[in-house]
Amino acid sequence: MRRRTFMAMAAAGAALPLGRAKAANEVRIGFPMALSGPGALYGTPITRGAEMCVAEINAAGGLNGRKLLLIPRDSKGNADESVRVSRELILKDNVDFLVGTFTSAETPAVSTIAKENKTLLIAPTAKTIQLTSPQNLHPYIYRVASTTDIEGRTAATIMAKWDVKRVATIAPDYAYGRDIMEAFTVLLKKLKPGVEIVDQQWPKLGQADFAPFITAQMSKQPDAIFGACFAGDFASLVKQGKPLGYFEAIKNQYVGAGETGSIEMTRSLGTDYPVGIVANAYDPVIWPDAPEVHKKYHAALRAYLKDEYGSSWAIQGYEGILALAAGIKRANSFDTEKVCKAMLGLTFETPIGPQTIREKDHSANRGQFWGKIVRTSAYPFPVMESVSYTDPTPFMD
Amino acid sequence: MAAQFLFSQFLSGLTTAIFLFLVASGLSLVFGVLRVLNFAHGTFYMLGAYIAWQAVTWLAPAKEAFWPAALLAALAIAALGLVVERFLFRYLYDKEELYQLLFTYALVLILGDAAKMLWGTAQLSVARPPVLDGAITVFGTLLPTYNLFVMILGSVIAVGFWVILQRTSAGRMIRAAAMDREMLGALGTNVGWLYTGVFVVSSFLAGLSGALVSPIKAIVPGMDVEIIVEAFIVVVIGGLGSFWGTFLGALIYGQVLSFGILIFPRFSIFSVFALMAVILIVRPWGLLGRPLK
Amino acid sequence: MSKRIPWTLIIFLAALTIPWLGSRYYTFLSTQIVILSLFAVSYNLLLGSTGLVSFGHAAYFGLGSYACGLLMKELSIPFPIALLAGGLMGAAFAAVAGYFCVRLTKIYFSMLTLAFAQIMWAICFQWNEVTGGDQGVSGIPYPELGWMSSIPGLDGFRIGDYFYIMTLAICIVCIWILQRITNSPFGRLLTTIRENPERASFIGVNVHAYELAAFVIAGGFAGISGALFGIFNRGVFADFMFWPKSAEVLIMTILGGMNHFWGPVVGTIMMVVLNQQITSYTEYWPMVLGIILLVLLFVFPGGLVGAVDAGLKRVTGRAGGRGDA
Repeated sequence: MRRRTFMAMAAAGAALPLGRAKAANEVRIGFPMALSGPGALYGTPITRGAEMCVAEINAAGGLNGRKLLLIPRDSKGNADESVRVSRELILKDNVDFLVGTFTSAETPAVSTIAKENKTLLIAPTAKTIQLTSPQNLHPYIYRVASTTDIEGRTAATIMAKWDVKRVATIAPDYAYGRDIMEAFTVLLKKLKPGVEIVDQQWPKLGQADFAPFITAQMSKQPDAIFGACFAGDFASLVKQGKPLGYFEAIKNQYVGAGETGSIEMTRSLGTDYPVGIVANAYDPVIWPDAPEVHKKYHAALRAYLKDEYGSSWAIQGYEGILALAAGIKRANSFDTEKVCKAMLGLTFETPIGPQTIREKDHSANRGQFWGKIVRTSAYPFPVMESVSYTDPTPFMD
Repeated sequence: MAAQFLFSQFLSGLTTAIFLFLVASGLSLVFGVLRVLNFAHGTFYMLGAYIAWQAVTWLAPAKEAFWPAALLAALAIAALGLVVERFLFRYLYDKEELYQLLFTYALVLILGDAAKMLWGTAQLSVARPPVLDGAITVFGTLLPTYNLFVMILGSVIAVGFWVILQRTSAGRMIRAAAMDREMLGALGTNVGWLYTGVFVVSSFLAGLSGALVSPIKAIVPGMDVEIIVEAFIVVVIGGLGSFWGTFLGALIYGQVLSFGILIFPRFSIFSVFALMAVILIVRPWGLLGRPLK
Repeated sequence: MSKRIPWTLIIFLAALTIPWLGSRYYTFLSTQIVILSLFAVSYNLLLGSTGLVSFGHAAYFGLGSYACGLLMKELSIPFPIALLAGGLMGAAFAAVAGYFCVRLTKIYFSMLTLAFAQIMWAICFQWNEVTGGDQGVSGIPYPELGWMSSIPGLDGFRIGDYFYIMTLAICIVCIWILQRITNSPFGRLLTTIRENPERASFIGVNVHAYELAAFVIAGGFAGISGALFGIFNRGVFADFMFWPKSAEVLIMTILGGMNHFWGPVVGTIMMVVLNQQITSYTEYWPMVLGIILLVLLFVFPGGLVGAVDAGLKRVTGRAGGRGDA
């Protein structure tokens, strides 16, 4: 090749970036999270929750004298992108630990990267049981999220109490949706042998047009529906389904997993929200009988977010950092191998009570709050009536 | 029971079709006359939705804010189209087609990010105009009134356009330009302004369809990338540059998708692309199109 | 005729030194550049040499990565065979799609390449059992590279470095093969077809056959680059085949300059490096890329290499001519 081409090549490579130098004292925590796309509705408050936890720890002097630095990055809720940003966080930004990503499609992919680079990864929201299945488990992955086993089986016990014979399901077509429906249908058939699964719809994650799925499902005339569409997808399902009579036809006997009862969702949908359905949330926020620690956490959260109601999702980001900090404290070290060992069997305090990370599958016993969503004069958005935490222990293998 | 269900799937497909026709018509128009596949058409559509949302938010307490908002959105995008064509695009007309395509793609990148800068990444939505909030029953199935309105509007626009193309002198010139632009220029028509006019009208349609879709679909970044491929399929099936072809293509697309979800849900997405490929292999200029010169 | 400087060899040796810099990050970047360079060079066989504007090249990249990744992960097939399978997969599908596409011209050709690519994307995206659908196939294993530590001078590196060296070797060989093809009589006939397809067929060239051959060769090498990328990425996702990825390789090729054999490599280096730099400061990389594209279209249509060429021309007054090595 001519000299000129070589010069051009050299010119292109000349701007080679340097990796970020490490400040000696900081503990760098990479936080890949869905900050855009349909998951952003949840991903953004999760990040704020993590930020608040880091701010609180730093205000109290940091961990063993070292301050924490949270480095959030947008994974776009997309598996390929989350691998890219996680790798950059590890290789370019030299993070010490990773907390993130959002979906059950992203996290298994990032888990591989964490294993390759021997970096501790804490998953705050990914529920697919495959993340911690025996063939995928490794020393560097830990989960503070709930699991599809817990969520699907809890939903089955709820629906088993209803007088229904024909049940339909609708869930996004990927690991989370598939695994949760598997757990649900298996247990439901055991609890209620006479029940028939008449229809199962699988719109893709991020589906814009739900109408054909809605009409297809309605034609099968189910008595009740278990849905796992979440975040922006649930919003679209509701906006397009209500005018078609989707919820009316089943008299609101809809069980909505995927934190459809979070105040992010109830506020976002406003008057469009299909009140009367049963939904869940990691944190109901509006909890009249809440323990002191929960009330304190929310007072701080409202101030931090400058929002008069707070958030249902911030708690998972918060818990992710809490778990990491507790692991570091228990190990009395920042060395990844030592912290990983300390995470096994670790019990840490959270605003909803103590959580323990099982040695068996590196997952915390994280259940959710399930309840019927009702309109109330006390708040401008629908809230969960008779809030109660469902203990997940009977649902974990 | 079965017939009623088939009818509701059909209505669902029809709704998708009319919305898609509104979007694709502008694309088809630009291709027919300017011979360019405008990747940025989807981005204009997305910006139309965002501007409609913004206008509705500004006019907030007003109940029927939607109508002026939609019109404002359409006009704003038309203006954007004017600026883009007059000051940038026209300089590429004598360059290779590839460069024109890349230009429209550059617009996708730039304007897409501009939307992200201005409106963030959260999903936005617009409430249905109250006068159209509700549903009517047709043969036992519920059809939301708003969808019915859009169907009627879409058909009116289709017929209106056809009338303009067939009966007015402007329409005649557009049809002539689609067939043989050099001759048209030789006959003294200011082809430059004709191109600008066509581009502006196309942009207006894009903005309008974006505004009309905002009460139904979520407004998110990335909706431009999704819609442009769908619009391409419609235009290819119907015939690049053919107006009624676009209408037909949209109808076919809507029904194939709707019944595809029913018959082979595994590969419903695949079916529309396969249809596009079949058309291109068997009859590349589309069902109602004419072979390119 | 100037003395033949073995630029390919020099580039190879220069790139080979990266692992000795000891930075995981540089190795990571370089692996990415090397793999994507092969992808872009394969694309330029269609765009620059034959004048075929394909909007679906990413499909063959993606198919190669699925083939190789699935074989290695699910069936524990050894890397050399899986890599070859990736290339064959890309070539095979390119043959099928190409057979129909080359019968069309201009915009119809481009649209059909897009249609085929989206069909393959849709299948991979929805066929959960095989391709993992939305979450793709993660946990792709590295090939067995332990033997590399016994090569003198190469012990003590991380697996990422060994993989980089192997990838570099494979890609340089592939690029060298493509170079030989481009400079061969076959390659020159492709150029003739690009300049004037009618004249080519008048002199008895079976234009469709040559275009199809180019399509298949390009698809095959795209498949190989895809296979390598799937391993590098430790995961294969349907995104690899989505149409904006095809647009990306088109831009990389044009950015460097489609009229020079090494242009796409220059473009790839520029894109990857710029992307890394810009994304450190802002999330609005697409806007920056769009602006670069506009500058390219209005000011430097010949890409970076073309610009340097024009600059040199002005300085030395010497005519440039088509690039080759």
